[in-house]
Amino acid sequence: MPLEAFAHSRALTLGVELELQLVNTHDYDLVGSAEDLLRILAKRKLPGDAKPEITASMIEISTNICEDYSDACAQLIGLRDELVDAAGRLNLGICGGGTHAFQHWGEQQIFDRPRFHFLSELYGYLAKQFTIFGQHVHVGCPAPDEALYMLHCMSRYIPHFIAISASSPYVQGLDTGFDSARLNSVFAFPLSGRAPFVETWNDFGVFFDKMTATGVVKGMKDFYWDIRPKPEFGTIEVRVMDTPLTVLQAARLAAYIQAVARFLIIEHPFNPSEDDYLVYAFNRFQACRFGFAGTYVDPVTHEHRSIGEDILSTLSRVEQHAIELRADKACQELYEDVREARNGAALLRHEFHDAGSLHEVVRRQCLRWKN
Amino acid sequence: MYDLILPSWPPVFDPSVRVGIALLFAALAGEIVARLIRLPRITGYSIAGLVLGPAVLGWFGAADVKSYRLLIDLALALLLFEMGVRVDLKWFRANPVLLATSLLEAGLTFACTYVVMRLTGASTGVSAGVAVIAMSTSPAIVMRMALETRAEGQVTQRMFVLTALNVVYAVVAWQLMVGGMHGVFRGDWFIAVLHPAYMLIGSLVGGVALALAFTLLRRAFNFNDEQGVAVLFGLLLSATALLIALKLPALLAPLIAGMVIKNTDPRPHLWPRHFGTAGGVVVILLFVFTGLTITPREFALGGTVAILLIFVRSAAKTVGVLALGHWSGLSVRQAVALGIALSPMSGVALLLASDVRTIYPEFGERLAAIVLCMAAILELASPIAVQWVLRFCRETREK
Repeated sequence: MPLEAFAHSRALTLGVELELQLVNTHDYDLVGSAEDLLRILAKRKLPGDAKPEITASMIEISTNICEDYSDACAQLIGLRDELVDAAGRLNLGICGGGTHAFQHWGEQQIFDRPRFHFLSELYGYLAKQFTIFGQHVHVGCPAPDEALYMLHCMSRYIPHFIAISASSPYVQGLDTGFDSARLNSVFAFPLSGRAPFVETWNDFGVFFDKMTATGVVKGMKDFYWDIRPKPEFGTIEVRVMDTPLTVLQAARLAAYIQAVARFLIIEHPFNPSEDDYLVYAFNRFQACRFGFAGTYVDPVTHEHRSIGEDILSTLSRVEQHAIELRADKACQELYEDVREARNGAALLRHEFHDAGSLHEVVRRQCLRWKN
Repeated sequence: MYDLILPSWPPVFDPSVRVGIALLFAALAGEIVARLIRLPRITGYSIAGLVLGPAVLGWFGAADVKSYRLLIDLALALLLFEMGVRVDLKWFRANPVLLATSLLEAGLTFACTYVVMRLTGASTGVSAGVAVIAMSTSPAIVMRMALETRAEGQVTQRMFVLTALNVVYAVVAWQLMVGGMHGVFRGDWFIAVLHPAYMLIGSLVGGVALALAFTLLRRAFNFNDEQGVAVLFGLLLSATALLIALKLPALLAPLIAGMVIKNTDPRPHLWPRHFGTAGGVVVILLFVFTGLTITPREFALGGTVAILLIFVRSAAKTVGVLALGHWSGLSVRQAVALGIALSPMSGVALLLASDVRTIYPEFGERLAAIVLCMAAILELASPIAVQWVLRFCRETREK
């Protein structure tokens, strides 16, 4: 199958996808009730969509195309309210967070769909280990070459998005020491990582044809890159974030990505090169491991500073674009969060310190998700 | 002198040896059944009870059941307390159809059982008595099967909640009926009102007091570790003994306590299932003792009607759940499964039947013949059914 044409989309429009955890309200372990929840949601009119994910205790919600932050907020709140209401009818808890704190991957069931069974056959236990919960943000691009420019420039901000959204310190009942341990599960996949350094859609097509000719991939869906083009929508999709603990935080992240995208498209501030990626894996690891305190190495100047500092200076740099996009309030709130080093991981660790039980931590996660 | 240091011949055993033998047999039967024919262990425990009891070998009799009554009460108290903690009243507000399902299912069961009993020529009183007991679902079988298969999901959760409600309906209706019988048989309508009022208000007060004690102890202990669980076990054992001393039903108060705790303190309430190993042993004995109660005479008296009633009762429960299943958010498959999962009957039915026997022997005799037969058959068959439906709905997590 050749690479499909890059669809037209309005520049800088947004789309937000969130993968969510379904838990029971007794011990707050994951529960395979996605089908039950989707059955109820199917009868309702949603501002967006709700879909199954690979294991039966996950559900993915996605907004329709959003204009700006307030639009994304409204849609996400609408989706959340419907979801919380439907889950209440089933006595289920729903929450954000990149991992479930104490689930055992071996107990997860693959959702009953041919594609999921295929993936499970292919990847074996990795498929069940993939019971992790991420946020994806689509940004509309005016043209395919612009999309690739945006993709390569955006990759230097990947540590920002990881540190802000990080909310997966606990895995299988233990504190991993990471702020985002979720991404460690993603790296296990053979086609994860970064997109190849090609700058035009034609070159990208050549790469894609070579890859399909090897028989390793069949479509764009098989690439698990941190940022990948989505020709079908005419967008690039940022995929590194943990699902934050609230929809508001998810919307703020989308607003920040949108402001950065506008800055890139309008100012064309960088000349991306393959060498930018020399520090990529290091920076990304630092963000996963240490969050805002991680070290950020500037891909051009090679200057070292903390990720938190780099986010604050970027927020100042893109402020005008945020104002144009009516995202300034969201960016201001993010600014406060970063300055105080508040992210989901810090919050969850605080909750555990307070409650002494991961079961109770998950229950509070559910409460937090509701409002 | 010799008689002080040497054993007499034949040796004289402490009565507890009988419990030991029963437990040994039950555990063996459970393992054989589970490993060789892959059926639920509790079916094995019940088979052991049937074989050891008057129905086959006759090593144990009804007298033993009386002397170990406290163990049965304790086992049920543990199970009902655990079950109560899984009843979240918020769920009924969010999904009123669930409550309607429960009322419909229990109501249909009562009505159908009553009509069939009347058609077989039973008196109004006996028919109503059997119908009240038929509403109940066995918390023991339901909890135990969920534990054995490590089930979790909509059917499992609803099975817990509807079972808890069924126990409440059956016990409350039963107290009212026993009160009515005081009026009819003794003409004493003062007692007829006083007795059920004492039972129900007493259970309510007892339940709240137990919940309060639990809450206070929770501050000092972590019930999820070995020391904590001993405290919890001790609390429920004393509570059960106290309830019996006060001649209150040992069933309702622990269930109410569990529900009060779940609905006043939203934190997760977790402890080793059935309160650890000791609790697990008591629960196994519960199944053995239930098997012990049935005698061949009762089979002869009530067997046929019991089989007929089992079918009618299961059908009524299934139709009740299925009728509102769609509106309560279940698929057809899940609704049928849930209906079948509510069919177990055992310890609760047995206790209710044996209580009335002590007060009104003649009436109790006729009722017990049928109820005990139903319980005996369902103890063997319904765990298999529950296991099957939970697997059918993909809710089990068996290793």
